[in-house]
Order: sequence, then C-alpha cells, then structure tokens
Amino acid sequence: MSTTTATRRSPGTVAVERPGSHRQHEVLRLLPTPLLIFVLVFLGALVLIPVLYIFLASVNSDIGVANGEFWPSSVTFENYSKIWTSVGLATGLTNSVLVAGATAVVSAALSVSTAFVLVRYTFRGRLTILRGLLALQSVPGTLMVLPVFVLFSSAATYLGIQVIGTQWGLFVTYLTFAMPFSTWVMVTYLRGLPKELEEAARIDGASNLGVLFRIILPLSWPGIVVSGIFAFLLGWNDVLFASVMTRPESQTAAVALQIFGASQEGGAIPYYGQMMAAALVCAAPVVILYLIFQRYLVGGLTAGGVK
Amino acid sequence: MSTDASHEVRPAVDTAAGRAPRHSVDAGQEPGHKGGLRRKGLSERNRPLWMLIPGGALMIIIIVVPLLLGIYMSVLNLDQYTLRKWISSPFIGVENFVEAMTASPLLHAVWLSVSYSLLAMVVTLPLGIAAAVATQNAFKGRAVVRSIFLIPYVLPSFVVATVWRTMLQPGGIVDEALATVGIHVGLWLNGPQTFWTLVLVQIWASWPFIYLLALSGLQSVDHEVHEASALDGALWWNKLRYVVFPYLKGPLALAFLIGMLHHINNFTLPFVLFGVPAPTDVEVLPILTYVTSFQSFRFGLSAAMAFISLVLIAIPLFVYLRAVKLDDAETPRGKK
Repeated sequence: MSTTTATRRSPGTVAVERPGSHRQHEVLRLLPTPLLIFVLVFLGALVLIPVLYIFLASVNSDIGVANGEFWPSSVTFENYSKIWTSVGLATGLTNSVLVAGATAVVSAALSVSTAFVLVRYTFRGRLTILRGLLALQSVPGTLMVLPVFVLFSSAATYLGIQVIGTQWGLFVTYLTFAMPFSTWVMVTYLRGLPKELEEAARIDGASNLGVLFRIILPLSWPGIVVSGIFAFLLGWNDVLFASVMTRPESQTAAVALQIFGASQEGGAIPYYGQMMAAALVCAAPVVILYLIFQRYLVGGLTAGGVK
Repeated sequence: MSTDASHEVRPAVDTAAGRAPRHSVDAGQEPGHKGGLRRKGLSERNRPLWMLIPGGALMIIIIVVPLLLGIYMSVLNLDQYTLRKWISSPFIGVENFVEAMTASPLLHAVWLSVSYSLLAMVVTLPLGIAAAVATQNAFKGRAVVRSIFLIPYVLPSFVVATVWRTMLQPGGIVDEALATVGIHVGLWLNGPQTFWTLVLVQIWASWPFIYLLALSGLQSVDHEVHEASALDGALWWNKLRYVVFPYLKGPLALAFLIGMLHHINNFTLPFVLFGVPAPTDVEVLPILTYVTSFQSFRFGLSAAMAFISLVLIAIPLFVYLRAVKLDDAETPRGKK
C-alpha cells in the first residue's frame, strides 16, 4: 500500500503528502494499539524464546540443559568442534550440500523448460499435466518410500545398478519429488511475463530454444531461484527417504542428527549441547537462504498457493 | 467451494464472462493481437514438446510406476523373506486390507491423524490471522517482525523436532518454566500426553503458513474499503468482522486444505520428536505405515495401509484441485 503512494507521489507534493501518508497508516490499522502490541509481543516471544534457546543450550553444559537452565551457568563452545565427528556432521553436511544442491540446479533447469512448454504452447493433455502437477505435490512420501525402495532394489537385482545406499538414489528421488512444485512455481512465474519480447524474437527468426535461452531464462531468474531453493529445501529437510536409502557414508545431515538424537536415549545424560549445536548448524543454511531471498520466496509461496 | 475461493482462484471461474473483455483489451494493442494469431499458427506446427520428456520420464518412473507398484504390493504377502523376489511372492487378494482394517491400529491411526490435524488447524488459524492483522499497517521494524514470524516455518522439521525434544525432556526447560508458576504437567514425550505434545509442536511450526496466506488475503483488500470504514467510524472489531474477514475467506479456505494435507502427511515431526516405535498415542498414519514396513517388515500390509491413507487424503486433495485455477485467461492458447 505504502509503495503505491510512494510511486504516485509527484515531487511537488512531498511536503503535503507526509501527514497524509501518516493518516493512511491510521486508516490501515486494524487493531487498537494495546492489542496490537500484545499480539506482536506474544507471537514474537513464542518464536524467539525457542530460537534463542537453541543457541544458549548449544553453548551450555549437558547437565545445565538437563536441569532446565535457560541461561547457561557455564559457557563453552567446544560442542561446535565435537559435532563434526560425533554426530557425523562433516559427512552429513557434505552429502546434504551435494545432494540438495544438485537437486536444486537440475530441478530448476528441468522445471523452467517444462513450464515454458506448458505455458506457451497448446497441446492435447496440457490441462491434465497441470492438474497432475498439483496432485503429485500432495502424494505423501510415506506412501512412496516403500515402492521406491523396492524399485531401486529391483534395479540392483535385475539391472545390476546399485542405487540404494548411494547419493545417486537420493538425488534422483528428491529431483523427482521436487519437480511438481518447482514446475508449478515456474508456470505461475512464466504466466506473468510479457509475451512481446518473445514475439519480437520470433519475428527476428529465433527458434524455440533461442526464445527459451535468450528471452525466458534472463527474464525469469527470480522464479528459477525460488524453484531451485524449494528443491534444495526438499532435499535438505528430508528424513524419510534418507533414513531408508542411505548408509553411514552417504547419510545426509538430517539423518545424522536424527540418529544421533535417537541414540542418546537411556543411561547417561544425553549430549544435549551437541544436539543443539548440530541443530543450529543444520538450520543455518536454510535460514540464511530464506533471509537473502525472502521477498521472492514469500511471493513464490503465495503464488504457488502451496506448501 | 469455487465461489468463495478468493481473488486468486476466481479468475479461473469466470472464464466465460472474463474472456471476452480480456480479448478486446488484447485487440486494442494491435501488435499483441497480430502476434497472437501468428503465434497460434506457429505453435501448432513447431512445438518443442520434447522438452517435457526429461521431467515427464522422471515423474513416471519415480512416482507413477512406484504408485502402481505400491497398489500391486498391497495384494501380495510380502515380508522380509519374499521381498527379494517380490514379483513371485504369493498373491493373497484383499487379506492385507482386511487385516489393516480389523486387526491393525490403522483405524486408530486415522482417528489420531485427523483429530491432531484438525486440532492444530483450529489453533493455527486464529494465530495466523492475528499475526497478519497485526502486521498489516506499517510501523517501524515491521519487516523484521515479518521475518521473525516466518522463522518456525523455514526451520527444517527435523530441527524443530530435535529442539522441542530437548526442551520437553523431563526436568527440562519447559518443565522448569512451568514449575515456577506452579504447573506440573508430567511426561511430554511418553504416555498419553504425547498426543497433545504433537499438537503443540505442530502448532508452533505451522502457524506462520496461515499467517502468510492470511497476509496475502489482507493485501487484496482495496484501500477504498479501509477509507470507507474509517469514514463510517466503524469500531475495530466490527471492521474486522464485516469488512476485512470476508476477504480472507478464500485464502484461508485454501490454507485450511493445504495445512490439513501437510499435517496428515507429516512424518518427520512425530518421527524425530518421539522416535520409533512411537508411543501409541502418536502413532499417526505416516508413522504406522513406516513402522509396518521398516520395523515389522510387513511390506504388503504396509502397502495396503498406504493405499487406504491415499484414499483418505484424496478427499481434501480433490477439493483443493477443484479450487486452484489451472489456467488463466492470459494464456488464450491454453483454451482449445
């Protein structure tokens, strides 16, 4: 709202507009101030206290965490050096970056070309494909994990291709499951692009590929980034497939952390500090990606109407 | 459904009424119109449909084929001994389905899944709406507040679950904090209260999603509407109720559907929060299906369970597919 007023404002009326825009904020206000402050503080605390706790617990002693301390009685950063071997984060993060990164790049590339065809051309079955893209986004992973596992084992038995336990199996799985949403994001993005440039290029004799590479790609990089990030997150966040289809050497960070957490049950005090440090390290790339691309991501979320 | 399905969805509905004026707008811009005609001829002769092949092949091999495979497996007596040669394992017809419905915790799991999803939704809706309404008008630091509100949503589920698992340990930070105000809840991660733990953590993780969609709904409210109700001197509560909330109906209906699908399909949160075997009060559908496969090795039974849960999910999914626009009037070649 405020941006439209900013763009409409002509240079001469700046002084006059200022109180006006203030009044506009008053008009937009939906809650009385005390209630507004209460909502903001309540929800802010709801989010920030656990987030702050992750950090505080990661530098606390395990006994301190077990006793329910919020502020650490003793501060140590050694958890951050231990987790690379104890949780297996060195291997885990390498695998996560490799698999999720490759998923992001390939799925972005495939989804932009797929969406290009779906948006700019007519053919039989087009609407069916669009509907299928939406439906496939909602197919639950728990439904798929067993048949995919069996399919991959059969590939080893009958074709001699070893997929289970390698990063390749995860990569192909994540790529496929990322495709419906990534493509849908690109479809909504490409629809918003003006067609005039493409038409001009075609008149100049550009081929389909020429249009895709010279016109669509340069114009749609924000959409491509968004669809790539969603694919990355799918791979980064997955526990289900990774817990079934990996060996210790091909484990992703998510599974490494889950297994470490589960192995702490019983007996001595769990390594809470290391768990929290590892959780923070696993969350950091995601949160940083989100903060950098926030504007595009939020747009992609609501435009896709999904997730 | 389609009538109250928001500004976003509406253009799909008014195809007949909306297309004609749009076309006349197109015709107003001469070159665009000509291009349209030309392109139509061209696109039918020279369509790069081969570009659909890589993505299509992937989705067919890794999603559609396994889906059919799963259905086939649900009529087999498949366990760890017969898995290696699963094609030749004995056919037992509907026995897996009968066992799933009568002699397994499946119905209990369905009940848990649906009730937990609904409960979480009932709380996240007002939280998300309140957050959207509070950040609607500009104030200093609003951008920061918006970023903070979205943090639970961007944190990976396995991180959220690991953190809450630590915080909810007996004698942990949550128990300590509650004890200072004299509340003693008991065990969070074991026993009958686990159900409520799952609901609470799910609420914490998913209210920002409602917030996002509510915010997009609020932004569609015309400024004139705000001014008119300000001139009328409407009380804030009445303004919210009669002026603003009607705009939110569509986006929130969508958010409700997608949110329910996400809650019902959520595997990571209960899996990491409670571990397997999970306490019986959080043995939701995804966990039950997973445990039946990979802990009990009753693959055929698990496939039957998965099939039954697919039928359950198909209900909200069908409504959702009806509500989302597949196409818009701006791609005239899309029609016909």
